[in-house]
Amino acid sequence: MSQTGKSNAADLSVEVHPSVQALHDWFGVAIIRDEIVAGDEHVVYVDASRITEVLGWLKEVPEHLYDYLSDITAVDYGGGRPIQVVYQLFSISHRRSLRVKAELPLSALEIDSAVPLWASANWLEREVYDMFGISFKGHPDLRRILMPENYAEGYPLRKDFPLRGRFTRAEQTQRALSQEPEDYYIPADFECGRKPQLVQWQETGGEPEPDGDPSDH
Amino acid sequence: MSKRTVEYEVSRTPELGMDFRPREGLMSPAELPEPDFGSDNMLINIGPQHPATHGVLRLVLELDGETVVRCIPHIGYLHSSFEKLGEYRDWNQIVTLTDRIDYLAPLIYNCAYVMAVEKMMGVQVTERCKVVRVICMELDRIFSHLLWLGTWAIDVGAFTPFLYAFQERERVYHLHDAFTGARITTSATRVGGMMADIPEGWDQGVREFANTLPDTLDEIEALLTTNGIHLGRSQGVGVISGGEAINSGLSGPNLRASGVPYDLRKDKPYYDYETYDFEVPVGEHGDCYDRYMVRIEEMRQSCLLLLQALDRLPDGPINVNDPRVVLPRKTDCMNDMESMIHHFKLVMDGLKTPPGESYFAVEGSKGELGMYVVSDGGSKPVRWRIRPPSFINLSVISKLVEGGLLADVVIVNASLDIVLGEIDR
Amino acid sequence: MSEKLRSSTGITGGLFGSETPTFLTTKVDFVVNWARRNSLWPMPFGTACCAIEMMASAASNQDLARFGMERMAFSPRQADVLICAGRVPYKLAPVLRRIWDQMPQPKWCVSMGACASSGGVFDVYSMVQGIDTIIPVDVYVPGCPPRPEGLIYGLMMIQEKIRGESLARHAEHRFEDPDQAGHPQADEKEVRALSGPFGNSTRQDRTSGLITEVGCRPSDQVIP
Repeated sequence: MSQTGKSNAADLSVEVHPSVQALHDWFGVAIIRDEIVAGDEHVVYVDASRITEVLGWLKEVPEHLYDYLSDITAVDYGGGRPIQVVYQLFSISHRRSLRVKAELPLSALEIDSAVPLWASANWLEREVYDMFGISFKGHPDLRRILMPENYAEGYPLRKDFPLRGRFTRAEQTQRALSQEPEDYYIPADFECGRKPQLVQWQETGGEPEPDGDPSDH
Repeated sequence: MSKRTVEYEVSRTPELGMDFRPREGLMSPAELPEPDFGSDNMLINIGPQHPATHGVLRLVLELDGETVVRCIPHIGYLHSSFEKLGEYRDWNQIVTLTDRIDYLAPLIYNCAYVMAVEKMMGVQVTERCKVVRVICMELDRIFSHLLWLGTWAIDVGAFTPFLYAFQERERVYHLHDAFTGARITTSATRVGGMMADIPEGWDQGVREFANTLPDTLDEIEALLTTNGIHLGRSQGVGVISGGEAINSGLSGPNLRASGVPYDLRKDKPYYDYETYDFEVPVGEHGDCYDRYMVRIEEMRQSCLLLLQALDRLPDGPINVNDPRVVLPRKTDCMNDMESMIHHFKLVMDGLKTPPGESYFAVEGSKGELGMYVVSDGGSKPVRWRIRPPSFINLSVISKLVEGGLLADVVIVNASLDIVLGEIDR
Repeated sequence: MSEKLRSSTGITGGLFGSETPTFLTTKVDFVVNWARRNSLWPMPFGTACCAIEMMASAASNQDLARFGMERMAFSPRQADVLICAGRVPYKLAPVLRRIWDQMPQPKWCVSMGACASSGGVFDVYSMVQGIDTIIPVDVYVPGCPPRPEGLIYGLMMIQEKIRGESLARHAEHRFEDPDQAGHPQADEKEVRALSGPFGNSTRQDRTSGLITEVGCRPSDQVIP
């Protein structure tokens, strides 16, 4: 019995992870370093500008085939340190997992999106954007997901964000309740070309037409 | 891993034959010319307060008559910032927070969290603790699936299975209560062990539950599984293929119903799961009916797992005998200065973990439940990340409902088995 | 009525007396209140764990139907008592307020659980610190989550409250300012008073020790 609660599933020995070695061989300098944490978990630090290449390679190459993206998250250590974006990958066929990290300096919190590779990255990256303010270039729909769209206090999970928020409770209550019903909809909701809850005659004023052709909407 | 498919003969409307194609000469409703009313698509809003959304989920639907053209889900209506709050709480205080994330299967969350912390610290729990945690996790898997079953039946239109399922859940509530003192918010685990050993007679209670649950499941299945309305509403609805499911990050019964046999208990086993004798049900069609069948069968398999775990429950201590991790016994504290000091430091400063990180995933009732904990050597985490299976499962809902009918939205939503506490955290 | 009885008890009316309450109005009150309290239709505004206990209190073991609350009214237009079961973040607050405004009078509110009553364990940036800052609450049911018996006790307290109502005081019972629809129940001072952290949460602002503490956290003190 090896480490707590985890017996080695595939032929994964603690010291050597086939993907890590192959990454070093193929990408060379783009792989900054790698380490082993918690006994048998392998972490690879990648240059943020080449993240799409690395992730794409890991996903496509048959010996590695990380077809399952478990998680995308970020870690802010505070004190002005770079924020790490963490990708947790799993290969269903090889039963191997790998953690890939990219570090972003606080002045340039931007990284390429992984949505073209895995569809699950869509919401995961939106959440990282919402909580940390990291922009994902090429994301189809990068907007806040957990906080309201017009949340003005900042990015909550950053270390410089206080636990109770930046506004007073009274201010937060007032802002929450001062929305108009139209504010509850985002532009994409409106794209069907018709305002919700209103019919044409209400929009233009006047009475409903008794009969005949509907006016052009 | 075995695949199990269940095929039923379904007799539907007489115009359609067994293969659902219209008989010669008769036109199916789909072939009749569609009258054109020249109307716009309608925008409707389901939720966030709605009985069928299983929580505070908001779906904005664009409808063309009854057909869903577009679906945009909005979440965040239950965002309680667990992850931020976790950065201000000790390692053991976070256990109380984990109950409230997925309140349908709190013991699974309790266990998953401390398993991640123990992995990070390199702490090995005792054999007895491992088996007790397996019992807790399987019990709560059944617990969660029973609620899903009750609410699924309500969404299909049947009320009675809800009452049957909740009657069984009351028995699990009693078991939770007897073990931890609380019905839902159990907080049963601690880093290095459990809050307490199981009380006397508790294993008899679990055994009785596991022995009698299959009968109740038979009763509920008799109402649902071959019921024409249920079949009509769930077969062929919300289909997702295996490849798409993998790419979308689905996990748990949703993924297995699409034919992908990925179960963390078999593929990345923990706590000796590879030594237990159980099967993982895998579906075929990837529709709502398959998800239903997979979960029903999972409950039966969990009963088998419970009985096996109870049979192998070893004696011994429940907590690790390390005074820097687990509180020493009170009698020792009163008699022994060293134990007193350890107790004091653990309570006042909190448990100190070495710097490091760990991502540990268990097979939760909803899917792959991962906990990513990062420590800088202090008594509180730098980062506590919950990989929420329902969050990722829900993200495919647009794909599943677009093109279907409005009634199918409710069924697909129910079949994904989401819990908003976990989605919004 | 005799002058002496009138002055000693303060009761001024007779059977059809000019001042209320009178014998007849109390009888009518009795019937109306009996009907109201035994046929309350709850509006379950369930968000989190308390909602599960609310569902359990509606299930067979602790049956709400025996109190007349058989039909959980999901449309606020047809509901009598709003049971807010679970935590309410600021994103959900306008929804709660709107649902409360949509309920017709007579209406009551039960705040079920610690999170609805005061924010519970969640003294964080996104959580409403007690729904009484948003809507008027009649009964608070403590617990995390309260047992179904607790919720039932809270609902029985609502029934007691209804028992003590009177049609004569209709205006004061059913007072609701239509201009206040959509606005929070509590003004700024009240919110400050109701939302200030108390107890342990005032001292739980420490974060993890070593690396992260140094100069990167603002003082996480409360802005009241």
